[in-house]
Amino acid sequence: MSNQIASKGMPMTTKEMTAEQIWEVQPGERRSVGVIHIVITALLIGIGFVVGAFGSITFPLGFGVNFFWTGIAVQQIGSVWFGAWGVIAGTIFPFFSNAISGTPFYISAAYLPANFVQAFLPAWVFRRFKLDPRLKTRRDYAILLLAMVLSSAFGALWSPLVVLKGFGLLTTDSLPLFIWGWFGGNVVAGLVFNFILLKALSAVVIRTPAFVKRWWS
Amino acid sequence: MSVIIELKDYSWKYLNTQQPALDKINLQIEEGMFVGIIGPNGSGKTTLAYSMNGLIPGQYNGIKNGEVIVYGREVEQYDHGQLQKIAGMVFSDPEAQFTAMTVEDELVFGLENLGMSIPEIRERLEWVTELTGLEKMLLKPPYELSGGQKQRVALAAVLAMTPKILILDEPTTMLDPLSRRRVFDVLAKLKNEQHNTIIVIEHNLENLIPLADRMILLSNNKLILEDETQQFFQNMDLLTKEGIYSPGALRFFHKLKEAGYTSDTLPVTLPEASKQLKQLFS
Amino acid sequence: MNKTLLGYVPTESPIYMIHPFVKLFFMLIVSLFPMFVSAPEWNILLMLILILFMWISRVDMRTLKTYVPVAISMGSIIIISYVILGGTHPEFQLIAHFLGINIYWERIRDAIVVYFRILPMIFTMVFFLSTSRERDVIVAMRTIRLPFVVTYVFAMALRSAGMVLDDFQIVRQAEQARGLDTAGKSLVYKLRKYVMYMIPLFALSLRRSEEFTNALVARGYAFTGEASKVKRADYILTHYSFKYYDAIFTAVISLTFIALLVFRYGYQYFSVDESVLLTWLRNLFF
Repeated sequence: MSNQIASKGMPMTTKEMTAEQIWEVQPGERRSVGVIHIVITALLIGIGFVVGAFGSITFPLGFGVNFFWTGIAVQQIGSVWFGAWGVIAGTIFPFFSNAISGTPFYISAAYLPANFVQAFLPAWVFRRFKLDPRLKTRRDYAILLLAMVLSSAFGALWSPLVVLKGFGLLTTDSLPLFIWGWFGGNVVAGLVFNFILLKALSAVVIRTPAFVKRWWS
Repeated sequence: MSVIIELKDYSWKYLNTQQPALDKINLQIEEGMFVGIIGPNGSGKTTLAYSMNGLIPGQYNGIKNGEVIVYGREVEQYDHGQLQKIAGMVFSDPEAQFTAMTVEDELVFGLENLGMSIPEIRERLEWVTELTGLEKMLLKPPYELSGGQKQRVALAAVLAMTPKILILDEPTTMLDPLSRRRVFDVLAKLKNEQHNTIIVIEHNLENLIPLADRMILLSNNKLILEDETQQFFQNMDLLTKEGIYSPGALRFFHKLKEAGYTSDTLPVTLPEASKQLKQLFS
Repeated sequence: MNKTLLGYVPTESPIYMIHPFVKLFFMLIVSLFPMFVSAPEWNILLMLILILFMWISRVDMRTLKTYVPVAISMGSIIIISYVILGGTHPEFQLIAHFLGINIYWERIRDAIVVYFRILPMIFTMVFFLSTSRERDVIVAMRTIRLPFVVTYVFAMALRSAGMVLDDFQIVRQAEQARGLDTAGKSLVYKLRKYVMYMIPLFALSLRRSEEFTNALVARGYAFTGEASKVKRADYILTHYSFKYYDAIFTAVISLTFIALLVFRYGYQYFSVDESVLLTWLRNLFF
């Protein structure tokens, strides 16, 4: 992977890189799936497991639904930085963090689609709209916020409506509490963590070999 | 002895850095040699080590010039995972090398990567645990061991794969003197019994010098000095200028030489120093 | 003592005689039992059996104490959901009218049914986590022939979770050593501090990713290419053999599940109407 990027005039420092350049694969640049992506997936699952369990235990509403779910940061930021690997990790780790906090196995498994969408959508908008992970402009903030809201809305509808109601754990009349609980718990936690983490660490992350420009490498 | 590692005008610059980490290195290492690499922090020692076992450019982005040839092939010509079977590497932080639940799983991981059968794995496991004294620790989690034990596990995990070349990047940095001694005892065994080619990056020279056949000094990303160990340490002024903290006996005799008390070759080991001192007194 | 996912179990525990696959199979299948059982007394019986199994396995029963708050909060949520937020249903039998809320028997009944469905599912999970070492879970996954990369990611994730917890402690201690004390501070302050912990945790994990990758690559592991196609010997499985009693346990679990389904759907057992406990409770109210 000895590439000649610098000799073709690409800026050396991340400070000089534009949002488009961050996501663009340069001519001659070779990117491939490697062991580092497996490792980063595992590490994200590990961090998410700890952080998600903290949120699930500290602010429980019930059945894995939380008033303030700290795991959303790992789920969404991990997928922005690491593409499909982050999405995989973000989909899987809540399964483990819920298990530790007492959510039954099959309920946690049924949440997988919601967790997938919550992880996938921010990753997609950053790549689709070439947003700057360092959050340089209002556009970056606005579209990220929209992705957070929409993905959490899907999760909020899927999980209480399909999962909990489907398992007979909730009544129709109590659904709004859980829907808003899931939605609010994710969006508020996302507002607290996502922006700060992106601003603080993106400049470092995009220089690492683990950073994923496309979906897999 | 044949040359198995050759660097020809080799330079490496990490992406997003201003200066190259290694600048026009020319180096040859023969089979069966024990080579010590020393130098101040940031001089490129780790980069050199990574370049010889294919981690660079395999895992890192950067700009490469020149060639790194191992067993007659450029490192980039090896398939994924092939060169690492020839050139094993032990890192300075043992904690960061452990991904398995038990010592046994850690040792077996590399053997499974080689596609060995169960009987072969069993045999190799028995051999390496005896060599490194890990027989009683096989079922323990590696991260619950002491620093010295951890580094022995890391060493054993690589040795189990019987690489022809063994590269150790500051393997004793985090260890106490006794643990350090144990690691070097294993290396001594490997040198004397297995005749591996061993390349060790170290700051602590007391244990390294008695084993090293040749020494290399890196400074400011360049190869400054390379010679047989005895001759290497006759350049005390250069070594001191480059911030190399030589063993006490060596520095002592250097002072004696400067003061005109001796003109002999500086002794590099304690037994040599003791012998020379006896001669001086007599 | 052997360290399990949720604590420690003595080395002499009989649970270690059982193949890890059987434990995983038990968790997966027995977790389903309550889904098909509405009568709470059967689910309570299942809970008691699970507690007995934990006692036989010499699990530290204080582990269960950790889940008491979870059980209480879950019970509260179910009561709120079913009884207080249960809505108005003229077709139901009204027990009481309290502070503008109609309390119906059917809602209480449903809340009890749901609660005693969830509890044994949690107990099953706790039993599995309390008696399974990390290695056991990996062996179970390898036994069912999950791809090596899946089991390895799982193992590394568990390892990483432990390291993140250690890192968290170190960061906290470092901050406390510099005079930071969150005791008595507002929630907003604590949240701000928590956010600041997350940054070094992420940064440490990123650095660790490079080190782990180098270590894996240095031991010949490859995710792509010829080296990745090597047939692995699965040495870890040589320490575990499937004994006759493992086959018996697996058969018993499977047959019990089948019997449950037959009785549930064929003979209408375990339904709400057949429940002795619910009938007795109903008689209390009416």
